[in-house]
Amino acid sequence: MKSSSSSAWLRANFHRHETKLASLLLVLGIALAVAAPRFFSSVNLALLARSMGVLLIVSVGMLNVILAGGIDVSAGAVLAVVSVLMVRLGNHGLPASAVLPLGLLTGAALGAVNAALIAELRIPPIVATLGTAGLFRGLLLEWTQGEWESSIPAWLNSIGSPRWGGLDASVLAAVVVALATAWVLHRTQIGRALFRYGDSPLAAVRTGISPRQPIYFAYISLGALTAIGAVFYAAQLGAVQGNAANGYELTVIAAVVLGGADILGGRGSLLGTFLGVLLLCSLQQALVLLHVATFWQNIATGAIVLLGVILSAAPRLRRRPVLQQSPSA
Amino acid sequence: MTSSSSASLQKFGDSPPKFSGRMMNLRRSDNLQPIVVMLLVLFFCIYAGYRSADFWSTLNWQLLAQPLAEAGLVSLGMMFVIASGGIDLSAGAIIGVAAVTAGVTAHHNLPVPAVEVAALVVGSLCGAFNGLLIGVLRLSSILVTLGSMILFSGIALAISDGNSFAGFPDGLLWWNDAAFFGVPLEFLLFFATAAVAAVLLRYTLWGHYVIAVGSNRIAARYSGYPVALALFGVYTLQGLLSGMAGILLVARLASARADMGQGLMLMAIAAVVLGGAPIVGGSASVIATLVGVAAFYIVQDGLLLLDVPPFVQHALTAVLLLVSVATGNLLRGNREDQR
Repeated sequence: MKSSSSSAWLRANFHRHETKLASLLLVLGIALAVAAPRFFSSVNLALLARSMGVLLIVSVGMLNVILAGGIDVSAGAVLAVVSVLMVRLGNHGLPASAVLPLGLLTGAALGAVNAALIAELRIPPIVATLGTAGLFRGLLLEWTQGEWESSIPAWLNSIGSPRWGGLDASVLAAVVVALATAWVLHRTQIGRALFRYGDSPLAAVRTGISPRQPIYFAYISLGALTAIGAVFYAAQLGAVQGNAANGYELTVIAAVVLGGADILGGRGSLLGTFLGVLLLCSLQQALVLLHVATFWQNIATGAIVLLGVILSAAPRLRRRPVLQQSPSA
Repeated sequence: MTSSSSASLQKFGDSPPKFSGRMMNLRRSDNLQPIVVMLLVLFFCIYAGYRSADFWSTLNWQLLAQPLAEAGLVSLGMMFVIASGGIDLSAGAIIGVAAVTAGVTAHHNLPVPAVEVAALVVGSLCGAFNGLLIGVLRLSSILVTLGSMILFSGIALAISDGNSFAGFPDGLLWWNDAAFFGVPLEFLLFFATAAVAAVLLRYTLWGHYVIAVGSNRIAARYSGYPVALALFGVYTLQGLLSGMAGILLVARLASARADMGQGLMLMAIAAVVLGGAPIVGGSASVIATLVGVAAFYIVQDGLLLLDVPPFVQHALTAVLLLVSVATGNLLRGNREDQR
């Protein structure tokens, strides 16, 4: 409140969530430089980038949904449906030029189902997507009967194979997706509407924003981006099954939330989401490098997510209880 | 009974509604959705009984009652959590922690009561951890429990070292075998807990606080209500009930694994919502929750007897959730339009 003008910029940015995340990453980086210098080898950094691709693509979609004040716990199921569908169609001999658009369309359509339940039937987002998650996953498992698709088409394999010094197409796709979303969020009417709708649906509708459009846009974009993620997910794994990506949505939500997005909607940034994904992935990678058992990885990930939540709420905790928070339906 | 079982804040702070307002309240009553669900399930039962001779057999209902009791306990905890305006994603992980705690302690030949107390205490501690972060530090429940879900599942794996435990003493397995006039003991325990929960919700100050916090946390804080304490209690209770469910699960399956409660968390949320509780909080009913959780298990069991493939069963129960919530919404009228 009493900031002098000279240090205004520093003050303004010092308490930003992204700054805290970056310093957390810096601490992790220094610790790693001491404990596991191999982490910073070019091979490992390329691996890290590859492991981030899919998560970043889906997280950007989830950011759209969370910005609009929603949530989607069916993303893992959508990822599984699309990847199994594409691999199966590809194995039946359909060319990539047919399979990829079909996959994208399926993802967008499943997103539209979620949006319709939320916008038309007024089902709360977490309930609606909880239901569709069970529905999509159940139908997928019935279709596959729990069997593995243990081979993937050659063109899909080549998408996932590393090139450009260990990087693969997923990294490029993630960069393109992030830049495109940044443009949509900050330079287009629908992107701005997303922020305003998420901040206060009532105020947004009163100022002339359609009550349905932001919801449809958010969920369809998440569905489509999940489908893009599914391409690389299948390509990198080389095999898919009906139970694929079980619980993946929670990792995605954790990354977005770690990135400082407000779960009530209206606040969040792409930079934060990127840093959240980076933090989660480098932590996983580091623990693998340090030969830490799986359960310690879970404990560390959980602790980091909680730390991120506490950090993002820290400025609020210092203040007295505020009245700004509106219980959004 | 059904009309009095729903605790809401209508008589609290509101001016008495006018006649037209009361008519609206009738139409928007929370109690319509459990009735819709009950009717749907009843039709389903008639159909299932017609198609399968085993459906109305005593054995079927006995077998049905046990998993129902476990899920029911978690759902009761989740009911309080949702009523307080929160959500608990870590309930399944807490079940896992409690189950492997029982496994480890039983493995070290501790007496059965000690095993049970250990599991309950560990479950409550996990819940209290959530309660501390959500109630005292005022963090968002969905974020905290998302993090603690990952944390607790790691702890469960760490305690069990990734192993599963077997060879439990008969004293613990007794929970599964015992029955009282043919009614499984597990179910009676669940029913008794539900009665206690109803009393807590309707007739204690704490229950009143929980509803108040859920309907408007800021107003509750400015009215001098102990918001932090109420929320702390809610999540600790949820931990305790998850611990109970963990013990019953261990007793029924005679084994303990870290990932045991995985499906139950989403099940519990779905059951509470199926009973018609608004996900934003401020209203709760034990009977509606019982209807919700029973509907899930009856339909799943019936579909099993009708030889519906297992994965389609899951899909159909999801459809049941969506259809009844959508119907409940339509019956309640579109709130958005009235704003």
